[in-house]
Amino acid sequence: MPFELTLPFSALVGQEQMKRALLLNAVDPGVGGVLIRGERGTAKSSAVRALARLLPDYEAVGGCPYRCDPAIPSRFCDDCRRRAKHGSLPVVRLPMRIVELPINASEDRLVGSIDIEAAVRAGARRFQPGILAEANRNLLYVDEVNLLDDHLVDVLLDAAAMGVNVVEREGMSVVHPAHFILVGTMNPEEGELRPQLLDRFGLCVDVETPSDIDQRLRVMELEREFLEDPRMVQKAFGAQEASLRQQLLAAAMRLDGVNPPDAIRALISRLCLDGSVAGHRADLVVARAARAICALRQGSIVELPDVLEALELALAHRRRELASDKQVQAQELASRAAEQLAQIQASAPTEAAQAVRGEATQQEGAAGGDANEGWTTAESRESPSSEAVETEPDVVIQLRTFPVKKLDLPRERQARRAAGKRTSTKSETKRGRYVRSSQAEKVTDVAFDATVRAAAPHQLRRRQATPDAPNQLQLESQDLRQKVRERKTGNLIVFVVDASASMDAEQRMLATKGAILSLLRHAYVRRDKVALVAFSGRNARVVLRPTSSVDLAERRLERLNIGGTTPLTHGLMTALKLIKTERLRDPHVYPLLVLISDGRGNISLFGEEPLLEAQRTAGQIKQERIRAMVIDSTRDFGSQPGYPRNRVTSLYGAYAFNVCGDLAERLGGRYYGLFDLSQNAIVDSVQREMLRTGSA
Amino acid sequence: MERFVYPFSAIVGQDKMKLALVLNAIHPAIGGVLIRGEKGTGKSTAVRALARLLPELTVVADCPYRCDPDAPEALCSDCQDRLARGETLPRARRRMRVVELPINASEDRVVGAIDIEAAIKSGERRFEPGVLAEANRNILYVDEVNLLDDHLVDVLLDAAAMGVNVVEREGISIWHPARFILVGTMNPEEGDLRPQLLDRFGLTVDVEGIKDIGQRVLIVERREEWESDPASFSQRFADRDAEIGTRIAEAIARFPKVVMPAGILRAIAELNVSLQVDGHRADLVGRKASQALAAYRGIPEVGVAEVNEVADMVLAHRVKAAGGRRELGAIPQSLPSASRASRS
Repeated sequence: MPFELTLPFSALVGQEQMKRALLLNAVDPGVGGVLIRGERGTAKSSAVRALARLLPDYEAVGGCPYRCDPAIPSRFCDDCRRRAKHGSLPVVRLPMRIVELPINASEDRLVGSIDIEAAVRAGARRFQPGILAEANRNLLYVDEVNLLDDHLVDVLLDAAAMGVNVVEREGMSVVHPAHFILVGTMNPEEGELRPQLLDRFGLCVDVETPSDIDQRLRVMELEREFLEDPRMVQKAFGAQEASLRQQLLAAAMRLDGVNPPDAIRALISRLCLDGSVAGHRADLVVARAARAICALRQGSIVELPDVLEALELALAHRRRELASDKQVQAQELASRAAEQLAQIQASAPTEAAQAVRGEATQQEGAAGGDANEGWTTAESRESPSSEAVETEPDVVIQLRTFPVKKLDLPRERQARRAAGKRTSTKSETKRGRYVRSSQAEKVTDVAFDATVRAAAPHQLRRRQATPDAPNQLQLESQDLRQKVRERKTGNLIVFVVDASASMDAEQRMLATKGAILSLLRHAYVRRDKVALVAFSGRNARVVLRPTSSVDLAERRLERLNIGGTTPLTHGLMTALKLIKTERLRDPHVYPLLVLISDGRGNISLFGEEPLLEAQRTAGQIKQERIRAMVIDSTRDFGSQPGYPRNRVTSLYGAYAFNVCGDLAERLGGRYYGLFDLSQNAIVDSVQREMLRTGSA
Repeated sequence: MERFVYPFSAIVGQDKMKLALVLNAIHPAIGGVLIRGEKGTGKSTAVRALARLLPELTVVADCPYRCDPDAPEALCSDCQDRLARGETLPRARRRMRVVELPINASEDRVVGAIDIEAAIKSGERRFEPGVLAEANRNILYVDEVNLLDDHLVDVLLDAAAMGVNVVEREGISIWHPARFILVGTMNPEEGDLRPQLLDRFGLTVDVEGIKDIGQRVLIVERREEWESDPASFSQRFADRDAEIGTRIAEAIARFPKVVMPAGILRAIAELNVSLQVDGHRADLVGRKASQALAAYRGIPEVGVAEVNEVADMVLAHRVKAAGGRRELGAIPQSLPSASRASRS
């Protein structure tokens, strides 16, 4: 960062837990980094940047571009390994720094690429280190880590897991160490983090906006002073910063002498087990964090309060259950822990402790040592799964929104052109992020950097062959590279809802409205649009035109009229027209029609038998390649999931067969028989459907 | 030949929008304006008109980023180096301009990219500045900001907040100053910005077409006059525009001396807490905007009236639409603590 105008760490107001988590990492980088989750405007980034000035110095091999650790030869880069054979390596002390992964970073900048200058001038294939190389031995800061592009996340995960960065591109094959403290920030409202990445963070803190007025006033005051005269503020806190740095150094030096007693280790394992924590990493993190906490208070033996504090920081993102009331939970945990510790200490102290210690070391061995060590087994890149999110209990009339599960849809191969976020597609036009380059038969969108890199190593030779044009880049067609861009397409979810005077009409409408608002509240993240067609009486109307605006939806959905007969065909036709119009504006929008009805259409549109009309319209919709699903709102269940289909026996009167099921089939879509038509259930079904039809 | 720009003082109505722009001109740290509204409501007219009456800038004559020779901490690395070598930086005066960001702007264009010619001729990875570089010390106008790719909006807002553009791509690693007044527009019916991004705009103004018949007629009349004879139309409003320009310049000078009583700050914080706004930005922007308003009005001390006047601009995009109703409270007119002034 150019201007050294960062707010001093000790000047930050409040947010004690976040500051603590960061400081622990400054004391012991082995704690494993921090994930800071919170609303906007809560000084997350400021805190991380402020931390830079407090980070300890470290020893590195002099002259090594990756600043290898002279104390750990197993992690040496190839260069250092070679040099080490010929004698002892020079050692230098370097300050730790924060390396930022900017939002607009491209993959080659993250991973490293070929040094073009060297290539062009000397025909050499030299490696230009990227951000991962810079991050080695340092702190890697990823702001809005939940919005990081998938392919960058993959690269990051690999490096964090293996402790090395493996580069295979542009004719180069390089491996170099990549050990870093990973610090990330995110706003949980905007999407969740892939579980593998979540686990990669040692600690996690949740930050909130304080409601304490005095605290807020101090923040305002500080901001004003800093804007007016940043250097003065830095000077004003100079003494405190120095003292803090001193404390951290002292703590770091004590660290080796601090060891958790066996009973404490056993307690940690017990508590993690009780906390239903997945995996073993938590035990290690808690142990390390507790040590750091102990060192910071200048103690030498880890005690219960240290463990409790460490637990809170390490488990925030690992617990399987939801934390309900934090205060109460904390107290209960404290007393439970004290009991368990007493138990452990009382019962055959040496045997039990040894047994547990044996387990503990086995665990450590299995997990590969330090929380921040290179892992011996590469973790496989699983396809992302949506995390289970607790939803509030169904309350039908009250419209409460609840967190919508993040959908991870598989990528499509078809090119689409719209802006959106849920579906990731390869786009044809020159919009969208340039994510990587590829070789192509016909290159229409030249990736200049990749092309130049491809041509670079051959320059020396080619220029020698063309002595009269020594300064030109000699390109050959095989050098040309095509930009691969990625954009995300939006879905258009059209609800077609029966507003006729059938059973539970009001409930149905309310639930649908709630579902729409719920989906929309997260549509800004996914750039989906939602529309609502309601049918009742003798016609259908578009109550809500396709929109991604929650406010608009709320306004339009305020009054919904219910009553009258059921013009089902009208509803379907109106929806069809709506979708076709949308497609004119945006040919590659991804529509999903959701019909919520009991299927008892009894009004004719074309003068024919209503049911037949509806069936025919359904067929039309299917032909137009519009995804559809039917939510059956009949309450008398002859229409359980896995419905029995009977032939229609009479055109009028009782519909002995499952109309909705039949419609679903004609629409080419799924049938969902909802036992309990609630907002939750509707949203669930829609999401399941979108997940299912991720491609085509 | 000078291109005529429609005079700011000739714009009919839209007082909130004009005020929001003026406040940002006085104190850009407010964080820019997001103008939400339909097309044809004079948004870009107002922005260009404002640029016309803002004071001229002193720049380093040959610097591509138009660095300010009198602000050494904000210099680009080239200017910094030259200064360090003892050079006197050549000076020039330039008008402030409105730099537009087109909707289909690609990242290369916004952030800057590798200079292809240099790459081809000598294998050098040289940086070709983009829109953010042009925007430094100017006004950056982003139409339909909600249609921009999210990461571009992120880049813009990052630059606006930090005052620099950091580029790490295609083998280059470079930064340059990017301090600008940010003006974004959008049509709310076409979808919203992410709350995270919304929050980073200082103020928000919702504009609508004018309903008053008299004003509508006046708008059309003026437009016709303007189109038939822009020179004399500008002349007619020249004095009024000059007055506004002077007032803004004076406000800029007055700003640091305006007194902000502790009671008023407290009232701002209390208001935001009661509305359950996320984060501190509402507090921070509220302070800056009300202070800028006081400076503009020549009021020596910020009072309840100023806070209330800017409240809806500060909060419109930050208050959660809880239960479908958005009520912007206003702080009560008589505040016991607010009446006692003490510089905090």
